Amino acid sequence: MERDFANAFGVVIVGTGMIAELHVAALRASGRARLVGLVDTDPARAAAASLANGGVPATTDLAEALAWPGVDGAIVCTPNGSHGVIAKAVAAAGKHLMIEKPLATTTEEGLAVVEAFRARGLVLATAHTHRVYDYSMAVKAALDSGQVGEPQVIRASLLGGWIWGDWSAWVLDPKRSGGHQLHNGVHLLDLVTWWMGAQPDSVYARGRRQTATELPIYDYLEMVLRFPGGRVAHCEMSRAHRPGNVNHRDVLVIGTQGTVALPWDGEQSLVFGEQGVSGLLPVSGSAFARQLDAWLDGAPVAGGDEGLAAVAMAEAAELSMATGQPVALPGVRVGAGR
Amino acid sequence: MTAIDVLAVGFGGLGEQDHQSAMYLPAFAAHPGFRVVGVAATHPSDVVRAQEAALRYSVPYHADLDGALSTVAAPVVSVAAPAGVRADALTTVLRAGRHVLADKPFTPTRAEAERVAEEARRAGTHVVVAHHHRFHPMIVAGAGALRGGKVGLPWNVQVDFVVAGGNPCPDELLNFGCYPVDAVAALTGLPVHRVHATGAGELTVLALDHEHGLTSTIVVGRTAPRAGIAAGRLAHHRYRVSGSHGVLVLDATKPSVTVTTSAGLDRQWLPIDTVARLLDDLHATVSGGRPSAAGLDEAVRTAGVLDAARRSLADGVPVATNGAPA
Repeated sequence: MERDFANAFGVVIVGTGMIAELHVAALRASGRARLVGLVDTDPARAAAASLANGGVPATTDLAEALAWPGVDGAIVCTPNGSHGVIAKAVAAAGKHLMIEKPLATTTEEGLAVVEAFRARGLVLATAHTHRVYDYSMAVKAALDSGQVGEPQVIRASLLGGWIWGDWSAWVLDPKRSGGHQLHNGVHLLDLVTWWMGAQPDSVYARGRRQTATELPIYDYLEMVLRFPGGRVAHCEMSRAHRPGNVNHRDVLVIGTQGTVALPWDGEQSLVFGEQGVSGLLPVSGSAFARQLDAWLDGAPVAGGDEGLAAVAMAEAAELSMATGQPVALPGVRVGAGR
Repeated sequence: MTAIDVLAVGFGGLGEQDHQSAMYLPAFAAHPGFRVVGVAATHPSDVVRAQEAALRYSVPYHADLDGALSTVAAPVVSVAAPAGVRADALTTVLRAGRHVLADKPFTPTRAEAERVAEEARRAGTHVVVAHHHRFHPMIVAGAGALRGGKVGLPWNVQVDFVVAGGNPCPDELLNFGCYPVDAVAALTGLPVHRVHATGAGELTVLALDHEHGLTSTIVVGRTAPRAGIAAGRLAHHRYRVSGSHGVLVLDATKPSVTVTTSAGLDRQWLPIDTVARLLDDLHATVSGGRPSAAGLDEAVRTAGVLDAARRSLADGVPVATNGAPA
């Protein structure tokens, strides 16, 4: 495809950590968007990211980057606790936004972000990337086909080992990450509500500090969502499993007329090696490219409302873990999604 | 193996159930360690089935329990009385000094289970409860692996126990819940102290808190029929035990071979008869005098979990297995 750089949608990446690399790769592959520059509060990281991306401009000043010529939107990949402030700055600058999940670390802040973009007619996308992996789309397509009737129970598990570095990792700081339920739990909360086609009315959650009792967040989460009409979803999210190469993605949907199952060994190839068993990465189309295209189309995979709903569920899960009781979810405005 | 005489009493259960005819009598008749010597009704609803069983197995029919116990000296009594009279039938048999194979669910409530257990203690006889899935060789092997530390210290168990089709029961949680709750007990050996239950039609999601901080989640119940699954058989029967040093993944619908034809899929294997293994345990318990793995203590705890689950479903909050607020 001939790339039309003059008319391509200009993007600045804010935050240059691991997930930013996947967004940059999607931009690089896109014929419709281009990387204008990079922002990181750490000058060394900003410079390194610039070097790795052909010397595109890099700065530590978000306002400066948003004012660069040719910038139409921003993709924000910063620690979760900064999302609200940065998102509102992007909106104030009149730029479209794709923001890594979670949309914000509180519903109050998430709502303010949604309102800011709505008021200005800007496109807000929340990067609930799992919606556009092959596996989740296959489950959704099977459910939408009506073959299995109405889902009664959905089980979704994403299990992995420790990947968060040492005690300095920002994910371990509840103020910066909002905790695991907001950092990764929202993936599953978003998926099961999308698959169920409804919003839950209560959440009951249990968490554990499995890797170390001193952890300030839970590295293992279970969240039970009760939906209207007597339906239930169970979400299991782990960074606590050992051995560390355990990588189980397991989905089971029991419907009134049938079952959709993606067992843990139903997707990936297994390697039985001298060091034990490991799984190869599942085959999937690029979720980040699909997500980017949808944002550029003005029809995000998950918009602000969906991002906000996931934050509300995660907040309720946190309260449930703190109290040991199920927590009712107030009505959260949720758009139709896609 | 010395054959032990068995009297089969009660031909009911929850709703239309008759496990005595469907499960226990065929298993006793096929087992070299037992000899069926009579059948008895415990309730008017038992009569026809009991008479049919008497004809089928060519044994005397007894119209009432007391009469049967006074005339038949069988040391083992298989009790599958209708749920409403089950606890009374069990206590009557125990007062007569007999060992018992007790149908599941053991009793509808924990209070009844404790009453029966107290009677058994007084009688000094054995009660083996028909939580036969704990004798599935994969669960036995899994429990052995866990005891051997293969995954370190277990901290979570995930279970799916879902039956497809078959005859619906008025209370599928009571009907099926005992099996996976008991199987988790067999695997971990850790009692439950807190229960949160969420209902989804004929399915229930149980979130259980155990001793030593272990948690478990069980999806249990019945679905509509599924192609390739015989009516009333398990469509999903799997356990994942996460431990400090590893994960045990156990699919008890296996072992199987998959047979594909123009008509569809079928999964086949030589039968794994967990009821026969239950009777092996009963025989060893009665003849050897050692406590059963499916004994009363575990059955009372399981009844307590299901009691708490019912309360949790009704109240929408977690419930302690001792009945206290949780």
